[in-house]
Amino acid sequence: MSILSLKNVWKKFGETEIIRGVSLDVERGEKHAIIGPNGAGKSTLFHLISGKHTVSSGEITFNNQAIHNLPPYEINRLGLARSFQVTNIFPRLNVFENVRCALLWSNNYRYSFWHLLGRQHKLNEEAMHVLEQIGLHDKAKFPAAELAYAQQRALELGIAIASGAEVIMLDEPVAGMSHSEAENAVSLIRKITEGKTLIMVEHDMNIVFDVADRISVLVYGEIIATDIPKQIRGNARVQEAYLGEVPADA
Amino acid sequence: MAVAKKFSVWICYLLVLLLLPQFFDTVLAISIFNQMAIAIVFALSYNMLLGQGGMLSFGHAVYYGLGGFLAVHALLLIEDEIVHFSIIWIPLVGGVFGLLAGIFIGSFSTRKAGTVFAMISLGIGELIAASSLIFVGFFGGEAGVSGDRTFGPPLFGVEFFQDIEIYYVAAAWVFIATVFMYLFTQTPAGRMANAVRDNPERAEFIGYSARYVRFISFCAAGFFAGIAGGLFALNYEFITEENLNAITSGRVLLMAYIGGLGYFIGPIIGAVVLTLMNSLLSNYTELWMLYLGIMFVLTVMFLPRGFAGFIMMHQVAWIQGKLKNLLVPYLKTGVPGLLFSAAAVAMIEMSHHEGEAFEYLGFTLNSHSPVAWIITAGIAGVSVYLIRRSIPQLQEAWEEANTINDADGDQP
Repeated sequence: MSILSLKNVWKKFGETEIIRGVSLDVERGEKHAIIGPNGAGKSTLFHLISGKHTVSSGEITFNNQAIHNLPPYEINRLGLARSFQVTNIFPRLNVFENVRCALLWSNNYRYSFWHLLGRQHKLNEEAMHVLEQIGLHDKAKFPAAELAYAQQRALELGIAIASGAEVIMLDEPVAGMSHSEAENAVSLIRKITEGKTLIMVEHDMNIVFDVADRISVLVYGEIIATDIPKQIRGNARVQEAYLGEVPADA
Repeated sequence: MAVAKKFSVWICYLLVLLLLPQFFDTVLAISIFNQMAIAIVFALSYNMLLGQGGMLSFGHAVYYGLGGFLAVHALLLIEDEIVHFSIIWIPLVGGVFGLLAGIFIGSFSTRKAGTVFAMISLGIGELIAASSLIFVGFFGGEAGVSGDRTFGPPLFGVEFFQDIEIYYVAAAWVFIATVFMYLFTQTPAGRMANAVRDNPERAEFIGYSARYVRFISFCAAGFFAGIAGGLFALNYEFITEENLNAITSGRVLLMAYIGGLGYFIGPIIGAVVLTLMNSLLSNYTELWMLYLGIMFVLTVMFLPRGFAGFIMMHQVAWIQGKLKNLLVPYLKTGVPGLLFSAAAVAMIEMSHHEGEAFEYLGFTLNSHSPVAWIITAGIAGVSVYLIRRSIPQLQEAWEEANTINDADGDQP
């Protein structure tokens, strides 16, 4: 049974159709990559699923519940967390606070103004545990804005995974990283999404073919193929869309 | 022992509040302390919005003023023996009304931060200030409403005829309010307020409605502003439209900003400095508002993190024990700086007094005397030269003092 399902989803900005009738089923526990040329609408698709944008028509269900009319915070509370293509952290909070804030809702603190955070030992340990996972435990007290780029990307991931959501959506998690940084990031992504459902937009084909169980190819707002990596590589329409950009040796 | 250390800042704060009148016991001093107490609570409540929640409000006096008005009405009810409680609870009456006003206005004004919020706050401020002259029954028109705090039941024989008695009531409220406002910053709601200030979009993707987070801070700020208004009512026993208009809203913004928005203690410093300027400087010159404005502009330009930020800038040098190395360079720039300010003020005052002789720092100045102009201009010119010459040395000393000696590679 699929955990996330899109049925004939459309998104128009004025006259411009960005997403044109996308239907997609993501299975529980799979690593699903979405690829496609620039401007294909990959990020828009992410924004539609996560509630940043509303759909023009169509339906999105998460665990059989319709979510396409919900605001982002309610979608997140259901167990769908995401990261952003452009680093999107809390710059003036320190690294520890960034992660701890991301843990608050799932730990049922809600809008409490009667709990003192310093005394919530289980919460604080959990936040330190996430920092250890993303390798930032020695930077806990640093203002997030002062971290190096790759570290900010790691923190971005940490905020997304902290709540323990079932579905993790990563929008170009290794964009702008050097080769070795990207390698570290990929092993980190593998580690932290173990046993979870991962939906990922990524340009680096090596990483996509390495990590993904299935790949969907989005071109001009339409999914032209969804299949296992081997089949995608051999798909003629995909090769055409990429003008041979999908290298045979990838 | 560990407990004493953990709470040492709070114990010091309490001691200062309690002992201040022992050292300065004139009527003027007590009156200034009462004003400071009111300003501290008001400025701290404002910082819950701007510094911690990222909401620039031009109408925070609304909650202060409304709290104050209800507090005076409560005094009147006590006087008429309709209700019966000690006047020490009056600030709480103000607080509850500030909270109710915050809940009502916050329910629609916290939808967005930024310009939208700022404009709504300005509009609401104008609206309430205008209504105060329309609904005369509650606001008392231009004359305002006055009460009498001495009609309440005495507390341990104290009947609150004197300002010093009110001071201790105010000091207790300031302490309690400060503790609770600090504790608020340590709660999930308080910390999410910082997160929403930094990045409202991301906050929504970790399960929080930015609007509701803002709403909670807004209500809390309204509550504490109402307490400050209640303290005002208790101290002055009257309240007018001036207490909720844009000028009062602007003044609290200045206090929080000059003190330093990014630090919990910042607004306290701002409240103390501005109250002192307001009450002391105004005894010496009619132009004190001008100097206040200049100070604000200079603070925004050169100390964007306020006085508290300036103090905190010295942390690295302090930890390394290099603070003393900065003393001489500071004096070399600071003394000409003071001389320049003195000369500039002299010239401003001469232009203002136009032909009248007046006393200034022990000298008699007259704008019709060319000598006075030449001397003050000369002092200003020499000072500028000395400042320009000493600034490179200051920068060098500053960098030296802030270089971390042991290269442990902790920097990212």
